[in-house]
Amino acid sequence: MIMNDVAHNAFALRGVSKAFRYFRLEGLNLELPMGQIMGLVGPNGAGKSTAIRLLMGLLAPEAGTVELLGRRIPEQVADAKREVAFVADDMRLYNHAKLGWHMRFVASLYPEWDEQYAQKLLQHFNLRADQYVKGLSRGEHVKALLLLALARRPKLLVLDEPTSGLDPVARHELLSELMQIVRDDSRSILFSSHNTQDVERICDQIAFIDRGHLVDARDKESFLERWRRISLEIPAGVTLPRLKDVVDLTLSERLATLTTDRYEPALHATLEQCGARVTDVQRMSLEEIFVATVMRSRAEVQS
Amino acid sequence: MKRSVFWALVRKDLYLMRGIIFMMIVVGLAAFSVTGLGNVGLAIGGLIFLTANIAGGIFMAMAMLIGERKEMARAFALSLPISGQSYDRAKLTAGYMAYLIPWVIITAVVLCGFLWPDSDAPRGMAVYAMILQGFALAMYSVLLAALFGVTTDGMGALIIIGSNIMFSLFMMKLNQPEIAGPLRTSQIVWTPFAQRMLAGEIIAIALSAAIALFVMSRRRDYI
Repeated sequence: MIMNDVAHNAFALRGVSKAFRYFRLEGLNLELPMGQIMGLVGPNGAGKSTAIRLLMGLLAPEAGTVELLGRRIPEQVADAKREVAFVADDMRLYNHAKLGWHMRFVASLYPEWDEQYAQKLLQHFNLRADQYVKGLSRGEHVKALLLLALARRPKLLVLDEPTSGLDPVARHELLSELMQIVRDDSRSILFSSHNTQDVERICDQIAFIDRGHLVDARDKESFLERWRRISLEIPAGVTLPRLKDVVDLTLSERLATLTTDRYEPALHATLEQCGARVTDVQRMSLEEIFVATVMRSRAEVQS
Repeated sequence: MKRSVFWALVRKDLYLMRGIIFMMIVVGLAAFSVTGLGNVGLAIGGLIFLTANIAGGIFMAMAMLIGERKEMARAFALSLPISGQSYDRAKLTAGYMAYLIPWVIITAVVLCGFLWPDSDAPRGMAVYAMILQGFALAMYSVLLAALFGVTTDGMGALIIIGSNIMFSLFMMKLNQPEIAGPLRTSQIVWTPFAQRMLAGEIIAIALSAAIALFVMSRRRDYI
């Protein structure tokens, strides 16, 4: 049975929890509408891979529900995986078989396998079908896994840290290929990484995860629009009041740097009414936003 | 579709095990042919024959289960359109088939060697061969089932050492004059020991397969 929201969501995790001896993923809520790319960003050990493994039915949740292309997971995982391709950083092919054998093997399982596209990717990634997997470099191995994933023409591509360990050229090639795929509006990608540059480049939805908790999730533009770093000059004798939506305030004599996650031009007037002078307003990179979000979340947990 | 994925995964494992399967058949048959060349041939051929059967099985089980985990290819296989439980069942099926292919061929040739009308070998030794081959199959079955439940290399090594000790004890028992002696006849004699051993081997195979299936049915996390 395919659930009703298949047309809307590539996947949905609702209140999902999973405990290990030294780590717990707690009440994770995450949805990706069809045709969108989500970047799942978090430090090492944040729970990105656990969330993805729960989504792919490799782990069973202790609480909550998981849906993948409208199918319940893990009960209907085999059906769902016909339209999903999954590549992980710690995934490898069979060492003692050739890439060509892997291609024929995967093609035999997926009726949608696009041989022409597979051959194009083979050439584009500079791989050879008669190569034994054992002889592939780390970058070539990732490319081979991606070839096998992309040529299935999946509706959802799930990539767990695919660029880690790749040299800059290989990373560029991979991201370019992903950009090509997302031109097709019917396909979705979940992309986990701790590299915010990669995520900023290709994703339109971003979720921050830290210590097993979802810290924030929204569309990329909204993240970039709402966060600003404001430089201020504060004359002697002026004390800034406690302002709403200020994530961080660093004071150094008469200069101050204020970070906000709800920037609006009206904030200038508020600050100047308090006696401060706005000298600069900077947009923040996704990395800066990520670090600030995580630090705030950790501070909230500690207090 | 699901059924074809299951058998595609079984074929995949048989393909990946082709080298070990081939080596087991070639070495096993060559060793058996050497056993006919006098006492020295019997000693050397017998040793190589046992090595092909037992060590081949250990290599196979390790390559299929521990090797796949170590090579990190399990995640790739589990990304294919099959549930974790069906994947484990396909693995178990492939595990048995990969060993049974050389086992059936070698056992058939060995039995023919003893039972062929023109053969010089004592016909009664066919029972000895059946006990020996049955033990090799039972030991492989127990090893395969045990390795399914193991997640660390250390535990895997302990299981392998344990099965080697079991095999050594079994060979010591089987070669005792009062047990092997009555089998070295021109007639096939199903001694009480032979009957008990064969029954025990069948029970061990059935029980280990059942335990492996039970463990699989309770597993919820696959990586």
